[in-house]
This record gives sequence, C-alpha cells and structure tokens, in this order.
Amino acid sequence: MIAQATPYTLEADHLSMGYPAAGQDPGFVRTGISFSAGRGEMVALIGPNGSGKSTLLKTLAGFMPPLGGNIRWLGKALASHHPRELARLISFVSTENLRIPNMRVADLVAYGRFPYTGWLGRLRDTDLDMVRQALTKTGLELFAHREVITLSDGERQRALIARALAQNTPFILLDEPTAFLDVSAKYEIFQLLRQLASGEGKTILLSTHDLGIALREADKFWMLTAAGCFQGAPEDAVLQGWLNHLFDNPHMGFDKKGGDFFFKTEQAGSAHLSGNGEGLEWTRRALTRLGYAVVTAPPQEEEPGPGSSTPTLPPALAGKSPQPTISVIVAGLPPDTLEWNLITAHGKEKFHSLHALLSHLREIPPHP
Amino acid sequence: MRSMHIPGEKREGLLFGLFSVTLALLFIADILSGSVLIPAGEVVKALLSPPEAAETVRTIVLGFRLPKAITALVAGCALSVAGLQMQTIFRNPLAGPYVLGISTGASLAVALFALGFAPVMALGFTTTGSWTLAVVAWAGAFAVMLLVLFVSSRVNDNMTVLILGMLFSSAAGAVVSILQYFSSESMLKAFIVWTMGSLGSITTDQLTVVVPAILAGLLLALAKMKDLNAFLLGETYARSLGVSVFRSRLWIFFSASLLAGTVTAFCGPIGFIGIAVPHLARVLFRTADHRRLLPAVLLLGGNAMLLSDLIAQLPGLQATLPINSVTALLGIPVVVWMIVRNRKFATL
Repeated sequence: MIAQATPYTLEADHLSMGYPAAGQDPGFVRTGISFSAGRGEMVALIGPNGSGKSTLLKTLAGFMPPLGGNIRWLGKALASHHPRELARLISFVSTENLRIPNMRVADLVAYGRFPYTGWLGRLRDTDLDMVRQALTKTGLELFAHREVITLSDGERQRALIARALAQNTPFILLDEPTAFLDVSAKYEIFQLLRQLASGEGKTILLSTHDLGIALREADKFWMLTAAGCFQGAPEDAVLQGWLNHLFDNPHMGFDKKGGDFFFKTEQAGSAHLSGNGEGLEWTRRALTRLGYAVVTAPPQEEEPGPGSSTPTLPPALAGKSPQPTISVIVAGLPPDTLEWNLITAHGKEKFHSLHALLSHLREIPPHP
Repeated sequence: MRSMHIPGEKREGLLFGLFSVTLALLFIADILSGSVLIPAGEVVKALLSPPEAAETVRTIVLGFRLPKAITALVAGCALSVAGLQMQTIFRNPLAGPYVLGISTGASLAVALFALGFAPVMALGFTTTGSWTLAVVAWAGAFAVMLLVLFVSSRVNDNMTVLILGMLFSSAAGAVVSILQYFSSESMLKAFIVWTMGSLGSITTDQLTVVVPAILAGLLLALAKMKDLNAFLLGETYARSLGVSVFRSRLWIFFSASLLAGTVTAFCGPIGFIGIAVPHLARVLFRTADHRRLLPAVLLLGGNAMLLSDLIAQLPGLQATLPINSVTALLGIPVVVWMIVRNRKFATL
C-alpha cells in the first residue's frame, strides 16, 4: 500500500545554517538539516543549549541567510518571498523580554496588524476585529487595557502569542515560549498552541526544553543533537533512543518506561515492590532515587493484613540474582490510609509516609 | 486604536491643547523679551505693519527676535524628534543626539570645516556658505550614527554604547583643540562662541536653510513613524512584521542627521533637549505609540526650547546666557529622575 504523502507546507532541505568563523570568533555552523512540517502540525524543536535551535528558527524565518540548502514555505523558496509577503505568512515570538512602559496589551496585539495597515498604521474595522479575536482566543479580553509590563510572565507570553495570532499567519514560530514560566503557565501555553494547531490548522513550530510536556502535546519532534538530526513522532524519538542524545553526561538517561529522565545513581541494592494503586508508582520513584533497582510485582491476590504476613522474602524472587535486599508492600488508599510494609533481613516494619520509610532505609546498611 | 475605548484619550486631547497654547504664549513671550525693553504695542506694530514701526524696533524685532524665536521653535522640535528616533532605534532610554556623540560628530565636521579650511570661512555668511555648513554637519552626524550603529550591533549593551559615545566626544574635543591651536585668534573666538550654543546668531538668510532642512527631516520622521513603532519591539520583531530593517533604519538616520546636524551647525551643540523631551512626552502622554509620541515630542520640544531661551535672557540680565547651559540645567534633572525611575522599567 502506498501512503499518500503529506503535502508539507514547510520544508528545510539539506540546510546549512549559522555564521562562519571570523577572526577570534569560532563561528557556528550546522549542516545537513532536513526537516518538514505540515498544516495543522505542532512541531517541537528539541535540542540541548547551543545546538542551534534559535539559529534554525531565525534562518527559517529569513532573519539570517542560510549558508546552503533550501527552505521552502508553501512550496516556494524563502528567498523569493517578499518581506511583506513573509510577514503575512510567518509570525514570530522571540525570547526577548519586552519591557516597554506605557504599552498596553491591546497595543502590543495590534502590532500583529502591522503588515496589513497603511503608512500611518491606522487600524480598520477588520484589523480591530482580528485584535479582539486574538485577545479572546488567548483569554486576554480583560487584560486589553493593562500595561504589558504589569503582566506576569505567563500572561505576557500569552499576549505575545495573541500578537502573533493577530498577524493572521498560517505559520507561527516561537523561540522557547515556555522558558521562565511556572508549571501551570507552561501547560496553558502548550494547550493554547495545541488548540491553534488542531482547531485552526496553523503550523506551529516551537523550540522548548520542556520535554515532558512536549512529549505529550507535540505532533512531531525536530531534534538537533550531537548525534545528528531527527524528525518524527515524539514517541519515535523515545523508542529510537534519540532522547539519550540530549545529554553529554553518561550518568543521565531517558527512562522509556517512565517517560522521564533519570540520573543514574550508585546501586544501593535491589528492592521488590508490590501493592497497587498510585502509591506503587511513586514508591518506585522514591526507591529508584535512593539507588535501589526496583522490581515491581503484580498486585497480590490477597492483601496482607496488618500483622498477618510473615517476615519472609517472596519466593517468586528466590531464584533471581541479585537477591532482593528489601521488599516493600504498599497497602491502603491515598491519601489517608496509605501505608508501607518493609521487609528486610532484619525483620518487618510498617511506615505511614514515604518519608519515614526512606529515612529508615537510609539508616540501615543495604547489604546485610 | 481609536475605537478600542482606551481610557485617557480625552486627557491626551487636553494635553495637546494645553501645550499648543503654552507654545503660542512662549513664542510671543520670546519675541517680547530681550535685552532691550520694547513695549508690547511697538513689537506688535513691527510685526503686523512694519512700515509704521520705528526703524530700530523694526530691526530688533524682525531682524533679530523673530528669527531667534523661530530658530528656538524649530531647533527644539528637531532635537527632540532626533532624540526620540535615537532612543527607539537603539532601544536605549539614555540615547539622544548629544549623548551618543551625534551632535559632536556634526561639531567636529563643522570645526574641521571652519577651522581647517580657513578660506572657506568667507562663505560663512552667504547662502551658499550656509548650505555648505549644513551639509558638512549632516555628514558628520550621519557618520557618527553609522559608527554607533556598528558598535551597538556588536556590543549588545546600552551602557557600552553610551560610554563609547562619551569617548568619541572626548576624541572629537581633542581634535578640535588641536585645530584651535593652529587657527587664528578671530576664528578661534567665533568657534568658541559657536560651541556655547546660540539661537540668536542665525540670520534671516540662514533661516532659509535651517527651516527647510528641518522640515524635510520632520517629514521623513513622519513617514517612518510606523516603522519606529516596529523598532520599539526590537530588530527581530521589526523584521518579522515585514519592515526592511536596513533600509528603514537608514532613512531614520538620515532624518535624525538632518534634524540634529542642522541645529548643531547653526546653533552649536545644544544638549539634553533631545534626551529629556521624549521622556517627558512618554510620562505625560502615557503612550509608546510613535503616532502620538511624535506630535507630542514636537510640541514639548518647541515648548522646552522657547522656555530655555526665555530663561537665557531673563529680564534684568544685560547679557544672554549660553543656551547650552540653560538646556543642561533644565534637562539633566529630567534625565537623572528618569535613570532613577528606570530601575523598575528595564528598557525604554
């Protein structure tokens, strides 16, 4: 079966970018970048600091001349688009922190109409409509007359996105829109961009360091790593091990199962973990942090009632090497009745918080 | 954003009205006052029906006071608009034609011209001479602006650019000193008087150069008003909004050179109007939109310079104070206050 090729609306083909070395300046050049994005796709540009994410965005937007290769927007070469035409095609949200006194949110958003207005920049009714719509879509209706400098970081980022929306372009490029934001603001921004991509068919390209959210929300990853470039579904990036290339540090890695990064610690021993519910996963994390190699067993048929179980290690693990040094059984339900039963060679103990359990484990020698 | 019901629109109208009235009053006061006391009636007579006025009154009012008041008005407008352009283009609240060394560039060019090419000095009082002087000053101003742009594109730090402006001013001062050392006594005196700044030394003949040049600069500034708004967001945003950054910036520099260069050539280097007035306009009019800031700056600039001129010739004083000292004493407190306030608001 031949799959219908997606009509890519943005293509970078064997692109070379950066600026060549000059005098003392070592320069920065990156070659062989081939990426593409389609209509309605939300693409996350991922890479360590200094990998060229910003440079790529600037090169794609035409702010920097490419050193080689081709960039095509809507099938037409970047260089053959007139600046004014590009302004109606691509809007850009930079990392710059705009702190301009006396500028109201509505003024900032109205900047988006710049490519559509005459030499005086007078806003017609259609322009004002676009400004209002952009404010509504970003949930900033009530902020229209607030000064931009009085906004929180998250609100300001939304205002900048509203400005890009008012520009009414099929493409929005954003350079680290979630940097410096608190967790809930990060999610709000991703959610907003998600809506714009799915709901309005805009192609959204954003660079970000927030891998967890990007993995969940992005349609596509473009990755710039020391090992090369990758493009594909975020899940492909995980399965093909590309996320490990984000680290120089050999002690760090990406846990494919947990969907999160981990820091490889010294092995303290192995732990057998059983029980059910949310408590299980968070106990696993806590024990992993302490350096235990955790083996999770399926929930037991019969929950061991308090005091009923004997202090022995589960026979299922008897033949395995290394012999688990501890066994933890999670019982009860969060948040109130949760408890942890620890079985070690020293005996059995019960804890009512992970903190108490971990404090105890730090005290006892892992290898008796 | 006329129909977005932005509060303060009424206030803005009132301010424009108020400052238009004060501008007219200051202009009249400037013509009425001077080292020789002339009754108001006589002044009006000289202005409205010159043949009826006494010969001396006519000479003083039409040949001296009116050109001076007009000069003060256009010089104030020109320096303030140039200051606004510089602050926006360099995104630096401390920028201004004087601080960035742009006036100094014009001065140096004028000094080289006046002191270095002695025979040409003879042209100084003819129309051709005025034009030559103006062109030299424009070239000097433009050259420095390009230099500052080059430096600021390499060093992304406001303070460094300002320090370089200061260093450049010192270097230009040194060159001027050397020139002075080799020049004749009479030329030296003329040059020193020029460096103190004077609105009164302009002849009616020279006004035919100054006024059109400044009008051209202001028209260019108006034509690039929208682009100035884009530059407020920085180069990246300006580019992404479709502004041809290089070309637009060149036009704005050209405009600022015309404005600051002309004033410097004929009135000497006048400081602190260019840096202080745009800040006053921002604070009073509470806007960042150049379509409103530019007219506001024009009005306030004219007001400020006319007021400075009035102070410079306070009644009771026989001599006129150097205008440069008056604008410095008026402008520096504004700049200091702005720096203190700026602790809170990072850029412009």
